[in-house]
Amino acid sequence: MVVVFCLGLLVSSLMERRAEVVSVFNNKRTVFTDSIVAQNEKFKADYPREYNTWAMTEDTSFESMYNGSEAVDVLEQRPNMVILWAGYAFSRHYNTPRGHKHALDDMREILRTGSPGVNGQNDMQPATCWTCKGPDVPRMMREMGLANYYHARWSELGNEMMNTIGCSDCHDARTMELKPARPALYEAWERAGKDVNKATHQELRSLVCAQCHTEYYFVKGTDYLMFPQDKGMTCEDAEAYYDEIDFYDYIHPLSKTPILKAQHPGYEVALQGIHGQRGVSCADCHMPYMSEGGVKFTDHHIMSPLANIDRTCQTCHRQDAETLRQNVYDRQMKATEVRDRAEDELAKAHIEAKFAIDNGATEAEMKPIQDLLRKSQWRWDYAIASHGATFHAPQEVTRLLSHSVDYAQQARLLIAKVCAKHGYTGDIPLPDISTKAKAQQYIGLDMPTLETNKKEFLETVVPKWIEEAKANGKLIALN
Amino acid sequence: MYLLRAHTYLGDDPSACINCHIMTPYYATWSHSSHGRDATCNDCHVPHSSLAAKYGFKAMDGLKHTAYFVTHSERQAIMAEDMSAEVIMNNCIRCHTQLNQEFVKTGRIDFMMAKAGEGKACWDCHRNVPHGGMNSLSGTPNTEGVTPLPPSPVPEWLQRLMD
Repeated sequence: MVVVFCLGLLVSSLMERRAEVVSVFNNKRTVFTDSIVAQNEKFKADYPREYNTWAMTEDTSFESMYNGSEAVDVLEQRPNMVILWAGYAFSRHYNTPRGHKHALDDMREILRTGSPGVNGQNDMQPATCWTCKGPDVPRMMREMGLANYYHARWSELGNEMMNTIGCSDCHDARTMELKPARPALYEAWERAGKDVNKATHQELRSLVCAQCHTEYYFVKGTDYLMFPQDKGMTCEDAEAYYDEIDFYDYIHPLSKTPILKAQHPGYEVALQGIHGQRGVSCADCHMPYMSEGGVKFTDHHIMSPLANIDRTCQTCHRQDAETLRQNVYDRQMKATEVRDRAEDELAKAHIEAKFAIDNGATEAEMKPIQDLLRKSQWRWDYAIASHGATFHAPQEVTRLLSHSVDYAQQARLLIAKVCAKHGYTGDIPLPDISTKAKAQQYIGLDMPTLETNKKEFLETVVPKWIEEAKANGKLIALN
Repeated sequence: MYLLRAHTYLGDDPSACINCHIMTPYYATWSHSSHGRDATCNDCHVPHSSLAAKYGFKAMDGLKHTAYFVTHSERQAIMAEDMSAEVIMNNCIRCHTQLNQEFVKTGRIDFMMAKAGEGKACWDCHRNVPHGGMNSLSGTPNTEGVTPLPPSPVPEWLQRLMD
């Protein structure tokens, strides 16, 4: 009897999977009248497949040859970067990125945001830093007005930023049509004579990503968020834009170079690659379509396409999965070889520049060296800051990195000449920067204090933010 | 078993292949192709060297498909495994013998030789035969209407239990 019943269950599961086809829109339970709905949980009932796959961005188990979905301390792996970012918050703490579901936690935990409110410390970042961290951002921009939002300090909005990157960041909640929620994208396109509202659906499947995964800067004084796309979408175009307005992110404390910090120009770099140029959108590979029970939907578990080669690469390419994976790794390895050379040369150049300054090099003598270092570091950072770049556009990345090596070496030649002029002809002594701790000590960072303050911040300030948000109905408590 | 249309698996009717919905995109693309007029799924996808080979292969493939289906482990872009590719290529050659063995020599090898680099598989050039450029289950969505699905025989109380 039992066996027959179990067989029956098996048979019925076979039968019933045929009829999994259901209509989403005919049975909509929650109708929104507002285009921005910050609480992602409110979409769960109507879009269970999208919601559930989105929720899986919490998973950190995927690993690839380069990066994965777990946070890995990059400064530990490549201590040279501590030297390159000396004088800037990135030298404190820099991890590989995790999934969207971790965006708020990661931002609160990273040492780059400081510990405002602890031991009398003030904010080191403006509210602009929240801009990509969730659907509460467009909500607050609307409530406060854009200029006021950008001008606020980071911790002022701590109790508002409660819902991590989700539905309303990319969708109009009323229709679920794709609609990037960040004004900076619309403004940049308008200045370049284009209109986001006229973009095709396929373009929007990249633009919803491009509203954040792009190079940006904060206008000095107002902290207004801008994209440097007026002159074009390449590394050199953005550099020309910054040079024209004399922009720099920080003065490097060793070489006194006005440095441009690149911020993940993922969209721009992808446009330089063959997939981008053939019109493949970000979502095509990072959010591949999926058929489940005869229902086709977009997988919202955004992650490396290498985790699902059967629905990403193989939708177009017929080679077997291991061949395709190796093709990707080969491209990444080659670009990474040059990257390591660039980081090595650049770190040495900064340290040697400091030696030249300490030994009497004049401002006029240092100017051409600093120009070269600025160019070199901009190219290096632009090439490495968007994490998938070595695959998205391997030739472009290798080109930028080789220019970076070249400029750094030109700078080192000039430094040697300047040093010789001031009577020093030997090898310039280099400190031991073989680990993150040694490098951070060399540039004078007091890591124990930074970490203690952060711990206290996470234990005292953040819980208060969450409590206030719950009381104000900004956060749906799930348990 | 009758309700599962199990008897249809013994015949050559292509509608047997869409008893479950996974294959519907492949049914839809085939039915619109030139092969859709005269060739059935089995003409290409099972061997025709002997009756034993035919049913042996069918049974093996069928059991594999059942296992993938009930465990929800179907790939999103279904690709022929090597043994299946061998069968398919032999069947290309079987029907198009004169064309590819006398007029040109491409049909004088089999898939394993092609894989070893001694030539090309038929579909390395004829890439769109017969399922079009379609390579993923999502490539031709909503194809369930091609043939009506059989009605559900599961009693209502059991359905409610399963939901």
